[in-house]
Amino acid sequence: MFAEENGLHGDPRIKAISDAIRVVPHFPKPGIMFQDITTLLLDQKAFKYTVDIFVDRYRDKKISVVAGVEARGFIFGPPIALAIGAKFVPLRKPKKLPGEVISESYVLEYGTDCLEMHVGAVQPGESVLIVDDLVATGGTLSAAIRLLERVGAEVIECACVIGLPQVKGNWRLNGVPLYVLVEPRLTDLECSL
Amino acid sequence: MDSLKIFNSDVVIMKSHTFLYNGNFVNSLKLLAPSFPSTCTKKPPTSASTARGGTTGRHFQPSSHIDLKPSCSSHMAAPTSDGLIDDRIARITSAIRVIPDFPKPGILFQDITTLLLDPVAFKDTIDLFVERYKDKNISVVAGVEARGFIFGPPIALAIGAKFVPMRKPNKLPGAVISEEYSLEYGTDKIEMHVGAVQEGERALVIDDLIATGGTLCAAISLLERVGVKVVECACVIELPELKGRERLGGKPLYVLVS
Repeated sequence: MFAEENGLHGDPRIKAISDAIRVVPHFPKPGIMFQDITTLLLDQKAFKYTVDIFVDRYRDKKISVVAGVEARGFIFGPPIALAIGAKFVPLRKPKKLPGEVISESYVLEYGTDCLEMHVGAVQPGESVLIVDDLVATGGTLSAAIRLLERVGAEVIECACVIGLPQVKGNWRLNGVPLYVLVEPRLTDLECSL
Repeated sequence: MDSLKIFNSDVVIMKSHTFLYNGNFVNSLKLLAPSFPSTCTKKPPTSASTARGGTTGRHFQPSSHIDLKPSCSSHMAAPTSDGLIDDRIARITSAIRVIPDFPKPGILFQDITTLLLDPVAFKDTIDLFVERYKDKNISVVAGVEARGFIFGPPIALAIGAKFVPMRKPNKLPGAVISEEYSLEYGTDKIEMHVGAVQEGERALVIDDLIATGGTLCAAISLLERVGVKVVECACVIELPELKGRERLGGKPLYVLVS
């Protein structure tokens, strides 16, 4: 669900967050309007609003694990984990995590990719929040959900700053609810850098 | 004396006395906290298999040996009189896991993911950095991909600074500036967005660990090229035998664990 449709209608923070995101046309390839959150990170207020909104939503949900998807999930996940007293678990591209891992592959437009998590990082029965900056097709998040469910954890929700239109109306991934703050913008009226 | 320390996420760590990095002998450092043994001896390396004890695999059950000790050199903040810094650093040190032979044989990899599984130790890590930097007029925290992305943003949020990611090539969209740096074999590059930082801003560069200092040196160069003053580099872990501290162009380095 979008934050605006779930109790945050008219919250000025949502607009501040949306305005702080920069659109970079034709990256990484022609036709893609890339939603660049680095400009949000340069706006201390808007970045703080982003984290605050997630923390307010999740602080009382007895979440013991925040799992962040490499690499931009590493930016939003830890501040949330710290604020709600949860562990932070990085979900990484292959061969980055040392020691024993479990892997889950997923389908890309062309080819496949893989996410890994440390064995033993998450215990059966733990409640988990998965965080990433953006959800497009949901392929990566679905792989993340599968990883966590394979170790017996319960994924309470997936949280993303930006949600592409493909997921609107499909607010569950593998049965797990999805919570998104803003939609992508199509262009920048003015570039914030 | 070895001690088993058990934290809330069932990470069990055993302490040993030396570790080996890349074929060099490395000293144990003297410890600050009185409850830990004080050893400063060189010993032959223990082989990875004996160090691991009887279990198979490198998972979170006992047998990963760590030899990180709280940093005791003068570049650490002076302990508070109540030893609060010492206690926090002891816990942080204990929470870091060492993985032998990763990414290749002979390397003891310092794994901070176990630190992230201990919410108290992770919070303490951030608090120690925030306490040091909050009154230093720092407007930019630059974090090196990817583990710098874990520690940098919480610090930036707490001190009211911008967070600027320094990334591997072709990850950042839009106009970037790049800096190349040497690896053991070959070179690598990091990039920063054009316009992310302004001339005259004061910056902190953060990463999880400093080894040879090549990456941090490149990060400092990127910032200085656009007229930013790098106030300090901050890492959770230093590998002092690799002398990375000397590659920072005179910039000060602050670490929690050496």
